[in-house]
Amino acid sequence: MRLILACLLLALPIAAQAQAIVTSAGPETSSVTVYRDPDRGEGGISASFPTGFALITETRRIALPAGESTVRFEGVADGMIAVSAVVTGLPGGVVQKNRDARLLSPAALLDGSLGNRVHLRRTSRATGKVTDQDAIIRSGPDGAVVLQTSEGVEALRCSGIPESLSYDSVPAGLAARPTLSVTTVSPSATSALVTLTYLSTGFDWGANYVAKVAKNGRTLDLFAWLTVANGNASGFVDAQLMAVAGRVNREADYDSLVENAPSPSLHLQCWPMATTSTDSPPPPPMSASMMMADMSEIVVTAQRRNESLAAAPVVKMAKQEELGDLKLYRVPMRVDVNAHGQKQVALLQKSAVPFHLYYAAKLWPLDPGDESQPMAKTLRMQNRANAGLGLPLPSGGVALFEQADGESLLLANSDMRDHAIGEEAEIDAGRSAQVRIRHIGVAGKDGTIQSFRIEVTNALDKPVPVEVQLARPDGYSLIGPSRTLGEKDGAWLWAQTVPANGKAEFAYRLKEDR
Amino acid sequence: MKFAANMLSCILVTLPATALAQDATSAQGDVSVTIYNNNLALVQDVRTLPIGRGVNRVEFPDVSAQIRPETVSFAADGTAIVEQNFDFDLLSPSKLMEKAVGQVVTIVRTNPATGAETREQARVLAVNGGTVLQIGNRIEVLRDDGLPVRVVFDKVPPNLRPRPTLSVTVESSQAGSRAASLRYLTPGLGWSADYVALFDAKAGRIDVQGWITLTNSTGTTYANARTLLVAGEVGASPQSYGSPYGRPRSPGSLRKAGTETANRERLGDFYLYPLAARTTIADRQTKQVSFLDVQGVPAKAGYEYRNDWLNSSEDPQSFSSVVKFSTSGNGGLGDALPAGTVRFYMKDASGAPQFIGENAVGHTPMGSELVLATGEAFDVKVQPVVEKREKLGEYRWRTTMRYDISNAKPEAVSVDLTQAGLDWVNSDTRIVSESQPSKRRNSDSTVWSVAVPANGRTTVSAVFDTRY
Repeated sequence: MRLILACLLLALPIAAQAQAIVTSAGPETSSVTVYRDPDRGEGGISASFPTGFALITETRRIALPAGESTVRFEGVADGMIAVSAVVTGLPGGVVQKNRDARLLSPAALLDGSLGNRVHLRRTSRATGKVTDQDAIIRSGPDGAVVLQTSEGVEALRCSGIPESLSYDSVPAGLAARPTLSVTTVSPSATSALVTLTYLSTGFDWGANYVAKVAKNGRTLDLFAWLTVANGNASGFVDAQLMAVAGRVNREADYDSLVENAPSPSLHLQCWPMATTSTDSPPPPPMSASMMMADMSEIVVTAQRRNESLAAAPVVKMAKQEELGDLKLYRVPMRVDVNAHGQKQVALLQKSAVPFHLYYAAKLWPLDPGDESQPMAKTLRMQNRANAGLGLPLPSGGVALFEQADGESLLLANSDMRDHAIGEEAEIDAGRSAQVRIRHIGVAGKDGTIQSFRIEVTNALDKPVPVEVQLARPDGYSLIGPSRTLGEKDGAWLWAQTVPANGKAEFAYRLKEDR
Repeated sequence: MKFAANMLSCILVTLPATALAQDATSAQGDVSVTIYNNNLALVQDVRTLPIGRGVNRVEFPDVSAQIRPETVSFAADGTAIVEQNFDFDLLSPSKLMEKAVGQVVTIVRTNPATGAETREQARVLAVNGGTVLQIGNRIEVLRDDGLPVRVVFDKVPPNLRPRPTLSVTVESSQAGSRAASLRYLTPGLGWSADYVALFDAKAGRIDVQGWITLTNSTGTTYANARTLLVAGEVGASPQSYGSPYGRPRSPGSLRKAGTETANRERLGDFYLYPLAARTTIADRQTKQVSFLDVQGVPAKAGYEYRNDWLNSSEDPQSFSSVVKFSTSGNGGLGDALPAGTVRFYMKDASGAPQFIGENAVGHTPMGSELVLATGEAFDVKVQPVVEKREKLGEYRWRTTMRYDISNAKPEAVSVDLTQAGLDWVNSDTRIVSESQPSKRRNSDSTVWSVAVPANGRTTVSAVFDTRY
């Protein structure tokens, strides 16, 4: 009787102290705003290892008991940056936030059971008979397992007999996945609608432009996909999806914030096990048949024909909003952002955008190469409403197509940077073997004056405009150019139309300053 | 002792097995933890220990697994320290066998056909690569035939432990239980601050919440610990004040160091952030506790660009979007800020907060002015262009610069354009003429504050005269 009373007295304070643990399994609604990797350049994204990040906002309905309780958030993205988590909507506020990363693993099980009683099971290979006995773990998991049984002290799995440990319980504080929890003190039992906001790695997005040059060769139809990749093992059902264009500053090392501390690993290592026959000969060389087996893997590849680009019309288009100095694109319907998946929705569309096609080269005026080089074919558009565009163009890849005999042919595949409204946008359309440039140093230096000549040849049966930029060399002055030069981006610009199947020349001299 | 046994049976009776928490088995006593920013903590652990009269060896399990044993200090009434030991000879099968050399063990052979067991006594002769045994008058190599052989040892050898163990040998003038305090330094515990800043650009206001983020990777849980965070690095290497090649640095985030004292506990020059209640710092835990919550602090958006040299850019470059605010008690956050990361959010058209970028702050005194860059402005850009660079003499150049600034936003903005690189290796650069007056910040840089009209452009030009 006295014992029972003592038990009750002991048990009571434990019960009173115990915090209620409330587990929230998943969100009711979620919204995912994807940000580009700010260090990724302009090209495409990697769907399997996205290097950008996302802001995830979830609402969760949580039944809270009165008093202190711990709310565990499950079903979050595995790339969650826990230090960025913001929890609002708890009536008692947040006392503290914890992210626990002690994970349940074979080594953690062993380590947490040190000095405790476990069960050692042996199975006889001959008879299949199972013997079970109690044992106490005497060593940590670093150098394999030493057990104490009623018979004495033994090492696990050094005998050659199938041996295994079983445990009565999981040691406290071990979880399957790193878990975010918050402690709150609720004035009364209530059901609260809680908002959880956090940043998560493992997302990225990019714009993918498809530019189709019209038959007239003077306008193009510009279309862009918003391509979002989720490399997380968690998906978001029926989510509000958004993407932010522009470069945001990222300070902390996100990967190290997400990374789990390495789980201790279990190394089963016995005492030295060399035998009289351990010095075995090296393995035999690979036989011919084995080599054949290795090489029998035949890789079959095939190229799919590009489908005609007369694509189906787009119903829903992302809506652009301003977000401070960034551009926010909101997908107008709820979508599923699937785990390990890539999704595309229409980002923008403009038809019949006039463009100027020209051939470009950039030269260093003092370094003639004397070799005929292909010039860069470039499409220039003005990003203004009165020039057919006039909308922010987030950076991304560009696929340029041209119609020929009823088929769409890929002309070029390039990248484009962020363009604000009012800027000049250019699409790199590849190098032309037909329109070439040659930069020649003319013999005979006259004191401090050197002479040069530029020659552009056109093998096409139509006249082409060319633009040649000459960087300004410090300490030199240009004298006697054969034509007046313009200026572009701080360089001298020679712009001219080269006649069909013809050529154009430009001569200049550079005088070294005193 | 009997009471203890009763208690144990009670626990076993009243609690399901899963409830046997590890904290209950921890040998820690009253724990206080003082955590510095640079991955260092001072742990004080007061345990009640029975110490007998005379020389005693006192073991301290459950100290930090990363303890720096040379920093341990021990104190208990009526004791004097004889020696301190930190033993890390760990128990493993190899050690078990090595320590058994010369001793007798039991080997249990299992017949692979019948499963029958036979027991023999064997003396371990040597453990070098393999194990050589003497059984009766035969000499054998353990498991030479690969058949199952269990080796049963009588006991765990002394001085082999499951974990590294700290022990103190003391001479006690009296017998009895008393409080023994243990203090040591350990790496693996650190902290920094995380700030959540909701910026309302239109209203020119910012709401800031500050969180203390402490991380424990020591391998040990500190149960129910009094926790104190010190905003500072101890033992950090002295900072150098110059900059390479004598070139002044860019101004950074802290534009004016404050001169106000925050209303917080201090230790010397460090501010202290005690946690209000005792808390358990679990192993591999990141814990966040709020320490700052300020609403409606005046803040301003701005644009900054720094051209590092007198050079051209091929493409227009985005200005940095910055947020400017003060930590002053008068029109600011009104607190000193421990070092950490500030994450900025702004409400989108639907009213949901969206992330707009983050930046780091150092330990910032109260009364400081901060300018934190959040990212690059999509719509506000500048293209610096060298119009002309003339050689005026052997050591003298004249550079004509032009800066084309564009603003695609529907409102006018004011931008700070910095031209740096004016003083490098004892050069002397003067501004001969400029389209609008600039402010020379230092020998290396000059700043123009430029108003750019809505959906418009403006140009700044200047001529620089450089002598070496």
